[in-house]
Amino acid sequence: MSDDKANPAGANADAKREASRRDVLNEITWGALGIAGLGAAALTFQFFSPNVLFELPTTFRAGDPDRYPVNSVTLLQDQLIYIVRTASGFYAVSAVCTHLGCITQWKPEVNTITCPCHSSKFQPTGERLEGPAPLPLPHYAINFTADGELQVDKLQIIKADQVLKA
Amino acid sequence: MTTTTMGTSFHSALENLRTTGVWKSIFRSGPAVTNRARSLKVFDNLLLHWLPVKVRENSLGVRATYYLGSLLLFLFIIMAVTGVFLMFYYRPVAPNAYYDMKDLRFVVSNGVFVRNMHRIGAHLMVLLAFWHMVHVFYRGGYKPPREFNWVIGVMLLLLTLSLSYTGYLLPWDQLAFWATTVGSNMISAAPAIGNEVRFVALGGHTVGGNTLLRFYVFHVVILPLLAFLFIGAHLWRVRKDGGLTVGAKDHDGQD
Amino acid sequence: MMDKTKIQSGFSSGAKNEPRRIVFITPNASANVMDERGRKVMSYPHLLVREAIVFEVLITAMALVALIWDAPLERLANPLLTPNPAKAPWYFLGLQELLHVFPPFVAGFLIPTLVVVALIVIPYFKVNVEGTPLWSELTSRRFDVVFWVVVVALLIVLVAVDAWTIIFPTVLVVGLLLGLGLSKATTGPICVLRAKPLSWWIMTWFIATAFWLTVVGTFFRGPGWSWVWPWGTHAG
Repeated sequence: MSDDKANPAGANADAKREASRRDVLNEITWGALGIAGLGAAALTFQFFSPNVLFELPTTFRAGDPDRYPVNSVTLLQDQLIYIVRTASGFYAVSAVCTHLGCITQWKPEVNTITCPCHSSKFQPTGERLEGPAPLPLPHYAINFTADGELQVDKLQIIKADQVLKA
Repeated sequence: MTTTTMGTSFHSALENLRTTGVWKSIFRSGPAVTNRARSLKVFDNLLLHWLPVKVRENSLGVRATYYLGSLLLFLFIIMAVTGVFLMFYYRPVAPNAYYDMKDLRFVVSNGVFVRNMHRIGAHLMVLLAFWHMVHVFYRGGYKPPREFNWVIGVMLLLLTLSLSYTGYLLPWDQLAFWATTVGSNMISAAPAIGNEVRFVALGGHTVGGNTLLRFYVFHVVILPLLAFLFIGAHLWRVRKDGGLTVGAKDHDGQD
Repeated sequence: MMDKTKIQSGFSSGAKNEPRRIVFITPNASANVMDERGRKVMSYPHLLVREAIVFEVLITAMALVALIWDAPLERLANPLLTPNPAKAPWYFLGLQELLHVFPPFVAGFLIPTLVVVALIVIPYFKVNVEGTPLWSELTSRRFDVVFWVVVVALLIVLVAVDAWTIIFPTVLVVGLLLGLGLSKATTGPICVLRAKPLSWWIMTWFIATAFWLTVVGTFFRGPGWSWVWPWGTHAG
């Protein structure tokens, strides 16, 4: 840069002085190292994000619909959801308490889903009854497969009033 | 905006940053415009204060030391960092160890790069350690008052070889397994205690699961800690013995 | 070296460029002060920038190689199937080559231990501190005789045990030594080599032998530890 303000000899501590050639080169160097560092940080982040998880698949089959009697709430233990069958149809509700993540229990004698940790209570539809839980239990997308089995997708959250017609 | 004005405003922003109290509380020696400030940049720095504030000019050239010592120190750091990265995906259990190596190569993002760096660094470190030793010998850098630093250096060479040897087993492939077996049979050649030492080193009569685990602990914890301590002693002694004084004729005529 | 009973005074090494500093050097001065070799410059920036460059060059070179060459991974370890040949890591291949010639006690324990002990002892072995050249009129006849007897005895022993891989570099080094002795040159590299003392020659012989043994173990040994030519048809 043929900048007549450049001061190649620049060596005093006045904070408002113009950039000397040395300063420019230094800043370019630090900038280049910074870019390299950012690149390294990005690669590191990628390295640490696992590409393969040893967790259960999020889309799974829940079996023959006739396994679930009408007006029943069935806990699928490994997937941590309840398959609820009412007179009108099926829905799938999360079994994980929305307060701090404990696993809830279905209490048929009082017709509630209760959480053992802080006594949050939910209706079988997932609505909150009492306790510190801030949100109702989410509903997951539930469908029939081509051969008539139930299938749940835990990555899709649907509205609580949707019911899969039996 | 022209590049000049952009550059100038960037520079001004930087200058303003350097006048802030926060910056000054971190970088306390100020700009390196006096010899005193330049001294403080070394003297007051946690990572650098073992260096002398001034060095002899004739030790700065590439041909003086080939920077072999510096290269070894930097390699040690690189090996530690890449090694820790690898530890996130490696389990020292047979046969998972082998499959984890495959995962690192094919599944983990940039895993193959980290493993390659670690392997190249290992070979390079052994090579440079030998080269450094030979070069110090030919330069006479072991003569009084530097005798014991030479001995510490030999210890560091043995530590480097041990680190390389214990690390060689960890991939748990055919090369690793049999190279370790051959090496451990050389240990048993020692008289009287050879077999006992081999039994304890391997954690059994042959290379197996026990061997893998204890080689892992040696490789990842014990040997790096020892190396760190010995490197500290080695560098400390370089300072205490008068620093690098290469390039001038020695008193016995060798240079 | 300075007389340690006197206190010396002088000017510091940077005295030409900086304000005059008078130095009083007491007998207890550190090695750094007593040494008189060469001008000093500030570590920052002269040393630190160079170190930073060395680090950058190292990591860039390593990264480039890491991107191009993949570290090998053979098949899963099988304790029941020994590959042929089963080779140690390259830095132990020299020892493994020795194993071919000498029994395990010698090649696996004695020689490595002696090598390590010899290395450690180097700075304390105060023979020939003045560094008298091996080819010097100053060495005694007795030294000459002892030296050559040792060399010839070593060669005889090596031939007797068929240690050809050690004989080769030994003969090279001894041949070089003899050639230098016979040469009448007064300048140049021949003259420099003639001036080297015994310790230099022993170390050079050791390095040459270790290097050659490692090369042989790496490239010239195939199945059953038999001799192969590296460019031959083998599975490598």
